[in-house]
Parts: sequence; C-alpha cells; structure tokens
Amino acid sequence: MVTTYLRRAYTSFATHIYDVPPRRLAFMFLLLFLAFPATNPPQYILLILVIVNMMAIFAASWDLLVGRTGQMSLGHALFFGIGAYTTALLNVFTDLPLWATIPIGMLLSFVTAVAVGYVTLRVKGPYLALVSLAFPIILIGAIFYFKDVTGGERGISGLPRFFPYLGLYEQRLAEFYFSLILLLVSAVILYKIAYSHTGIVMISILDDEVASKGCGINVTKYKVMALAISSIFASLAGGVYVHILQSVSVGTLSVDLSFMAVIMTIFGGLGTIYGPLAGAFVIQLLDRYVLNDLIVVPSTWRLLIYIIVVIILVIKWPRGIARFVTDQLGDISKAREIEERGSHIWKKYKKKKK
Amino acid sequence: MYLLEVENLTKRFGGLTAVNNVSFHIDEGEVVGLIGPNGAGKTTLFHLMSGFLKPDSGTVKFKGENIVGLAPHKIVNKGIARTHQIVRPFRHLPVIANVMVSLKSPRGNKKIEWIKTIERKALDMLENVGLTELMLEPAENVGHGDLKRLEMARALALEPDLLLLDEPFGGLNPLETDFLTKSIQRIHLDHPTRGIVIVEHKLYALMKIVKRVIVLHEGEKIAEGKPEEIAKNKKVMEVYMGKAM
Repeated sequence: MVTTYLRRAYTSFATHIYDVPPRRLAFMFLLLFLAFPATNPPQYILLILVIVNMMAIFAASWDLLVGRTGQMSLGHALFFGIGAYTTALLNVFTDLPLWATIPIGMLLSFVTAVAVGYVTLRVKGPYLALVSLAFPIILIGAIFYFKDVTGGERGISGLPRFFPYLGLYEQRLAEFYFSLILLLVSAVILYKIAYSHTGIVMISILDDEVASKGCGINVTKYKVMALAISSIFASLAGGVYVHILQSVSVGTLSVDLSFMAVIMTIFGGLGTIYGPLAGAFVIQLLDRYVLNDLIVVPSTWRLLIYIIVVIILVIKWPRGIARFVTDQLGDISKAREIEERGSHIWKKYKKKKK
Repeated sequence: MYLLEVENLTKRFGGLTAVNNVSFHIDEGEVVGLIGPNGAGKTTLFHLMSGFLKPDSGTVKFKGENIVGLAPHKIVNKGIARTHQIVRPFRHLPVIANVMVSLKSPRGNKKIEWIKTIERKALDMLENVGLTELMLEPAENVGHGDLKRLEMARALALEPDLLLLDEPFGGLNPLETDFLTKSIQRIHLDHPTRGIVIVEHKLYALMKIVKRVIVLHEGEKIAEGKPEEIAKNKKVMEVYMGKAM
C-alpha cells in the first residue's frame, strides 16, 4: 500500500521536476492538427507539414542524446542520411517495398550507431562535437566516390510514394496523417524512455560522469544506448522524408541539417523531448513557409536569421520556448495540478508512516 | 584472506610521488581511519583503490582478486563503494533519484529485495542517513551537509562489502558531524562484515569511530595502530605539529 503511494507520489513529483509537458496543450495541438485538413489546405501546405513532422522526430531524437545524456553531437544528420540513402538504394536496386526498406535503414543506422558510439563516445565535450561532425562528411565523400551507384551530387529521384493507389490530393492527405501518427508514436516512445529509470541514469551522466561511474553505472553502455535509440528515430525520419520528396540527395547528410537539429532543439527547450517538437514546428514553418513563400529570403541568409532568433531566445528565455509557454499557461497546463496532487499523496504517506 | 590487501602501491604524477610504496590490509568488519596532513596522498590512495587512477606499480587485491586496471564501475560492482571528497550530486535530479542511479547499477539492482520497488529501496537508503524530508527536492537546492549524507546514501545503496568514505565530515557543523558519526556507527552495527575506510581531518570525530588508524605523510605510510597508540606516536606528532626543538 505504502509502496503504491510512494510510487505515485514519486512519479508525480518527478514529472513535475523534470518539466512535465503541458499535456492538455499538446492534446489541443493534436486535435488542431487532426482537424486541419478540414480547411481544405493546398497540397504544398500539407507537404510542408509532413516534412515538419519528420523534422520534429529528428529534433526530438537529437534531444534524447544531447539534452538528456549530455553527449554533444553535431553530426546527427549521419543517421538521417543513412536512413534516407538505405531506403533509396534498396528501392532502386531491389524489389523490396518501402515498408521493408525503411526498417532496414533503421536497423543499419542502429548498427552504425553502436559501432560509431563505442569509438567516439569515449571522447568528451567539444572534442566529441568535432569528431561527430566528421562522420556525415566522410559519408558524403563516399557517396561522391561511388557516383555510379549513389548518383553523386544529383542524388536519386523517382522513388515510390507511400500510398500510390490513391488520388494525388488524397495521397498527400494520407501522408499527412501517417506522418502525424509516426510523430506521435516516436515522441511518446522517446518521452517514455527519457522519463523512465533509464532516463534518470542518462541525466546522471549529463550531470556528473565521474559520480555516475562511482555509482556503478557503465557510462559507455548508457551513452551508446542513448545514441542507438536516437539514431533509430533519426533514420526513421530520414527514410520517410525521402519517400515524401521522392528523391534523395546529399542534403540529407549536410552540416546544415545537423545544425538545424541543434537550432530547433535549443529553440524549443533542451532536454524536454516535447520542446524540440515545438521548436521544429516554429523554425521549420519559418524556414519552409514564412521565409519561402510569404517573405522571400534567399537561403544563404536564413541560417543567419535562425541564429539571431536563437541568440535572442537564449538571452530572453534560456529554458526554451516550450517551457516558457508552459510557465505562462501554468494554470491550464497540467504541471501545477500534478504538483498539488503529488504533495497531497506525500502528506498521506507521512501520516500512514506515523 | 583479507577483504582488501594493498601491496607496494606507488603512484607518480610527473616528478611528484603522491603514493610511495604503501602496503596495508583491511579485514572484514573493520573500521579503519586514514589520516595525514594535506597532500599526504590519502585521496590519491582512494582513487587508486576505486579504480579512478591506475597505479604505476603495486597491487590492490579485493577478496584475493587483483583489481588494478579494472574500470571504476566494475570495481564498484565487485563491492567497493566510495564517496567523494567534494560532493558530486546529480544536480538536475531529485534527491531520491540520485540514490536510484546507484540502484540501477548491476550490483545495486541485484541487492533490491524482491518485495521492494526501486523507489521504496531508495527511500530506505535515505532513511538510513535521515534525508526522507528532502527526497523530492532537486539536488541543486540541497545544502552541503545534506549532500554529504546523500553521497553516503548513494554509496550505501550499492550494499558494498567495503565502503570508502573520503572526508565525510568535511564542511559539516558539530551537530551534523555528530549525526553522521552516529549513522556510520549504526551502519557498522547493521552490517558487521562490511569494512569501512575513512579519510578525515577531524581527528576528534574520527577517533571515536575507528579501531585502527593508518598515517600517511608525503605519500609514505609512517605509522599504523590503535587510535590511542597513534595519538602518542612521536613521528605522527612531528608530522602534525613540527619537530621539537
């Protein structure tokens, strides 16, 4: 009995302490998205939203590695690119359907993550950031070298779409809902991992690696685990992304994409898992809609704009936009309520003990 | 067979010999004090015993097995837990979750009784050191004295066979020192086979707990014996208070 109380009190408090996501708010956003196609949006808006969903998965997966485990990686596009190129090449050279090739890409990226992780995750801090930066560049080099197979700079085009038996607009619509489900499932899995007991160990590595070793934790194992999990989701995003665009290019491995993950996550709130989703929606909509269609800004200037946005944000709301909004909406978000419930259970527990 | 046997341990940092040919042993259930002036090599010795540093020569045998060269987390899982001289809390985590990190390690996890959850066991550990009131407070909001006790709770959660305490009383006021002294004594009574090694400068508090004292000076062992003998030892007095003119 006491144990149940304790577990409940602990979970309530723990979720409060590590920033509970505004569940009601998230649910409202979800409903909004589900209802969005009712407004009959043009096809390209739906396409943008599908891509945004994939970028959100990518950013959230980066957050598990960096925001939670503290392993600074600036080459996360490596896994996005592996996912993208694996499914593209398998589609060109074999008869496998894309429902099989995307999981193969995820598996391959998992294997790569374990191999790369055991080598690089022994390096710390800025050195790790530099080492991780190199890997996607090496892969780009390989892609340019094997031009005949990979298509070099031109990439591969003419890849199949997810629902070819539907009409053009219905296809987009189906893809929109499909990507939304993928985002939801990935975000929930990443969130559950981040807030589980394993997530606690990951935070302990972020806070103090030496103390974590002193607690008997195999630090390398947990770091590799975080990298492997995040790589699976990054390559899922990459694999879906190329089948939406129907083409793949070295852009999926570019440094820009790696930095985009950094920008989106820091904008949304590092270490929250739900923050990067918010960051991805804001930054990617800015990138693909506002600065592309509404106000036309050449792409060379855009990175500068995002960096200025992030600098302003870091000065004004260093904990990210998602936490800022949660704090502002304290009354309607669930965080406050959970805190009260937690302390209530805690008082009950203390009474029982007496 | 001794619980821990240190033989001819030497560690050099460049030209400085921090630990020079030190040998001693610890029996099961023994409480040993390790004292010496600043820079005597006490903490280095702890680092060597817990695997954070590798010695230049010599062996450390734990239950007859040489543990030199093993990774720190492997040594911890064999049963040597330590606390740190400067507190190292996981500051983003609440106090109870700090202890849960220990319980997630292979050894900690194995020692959880089947009837208990990981949270329940963590709370028991906090009860041992008197931190239940603060269990849900993030460690960054907790005071220094309580963090010292949290370090203890984290080490105790591993149910070690040998507990290494690095200056457990450092920075504590007399009241807290008294409380911690009592809890160390209680831990000793609860687990009669557990060896405890304490590095400490507060000799008054230390001498009440320990049965045997080892004195280090400039990396060398200069004396070993019962607290009363050490207090009268000429060499130790020279080291601490200077030579008589």
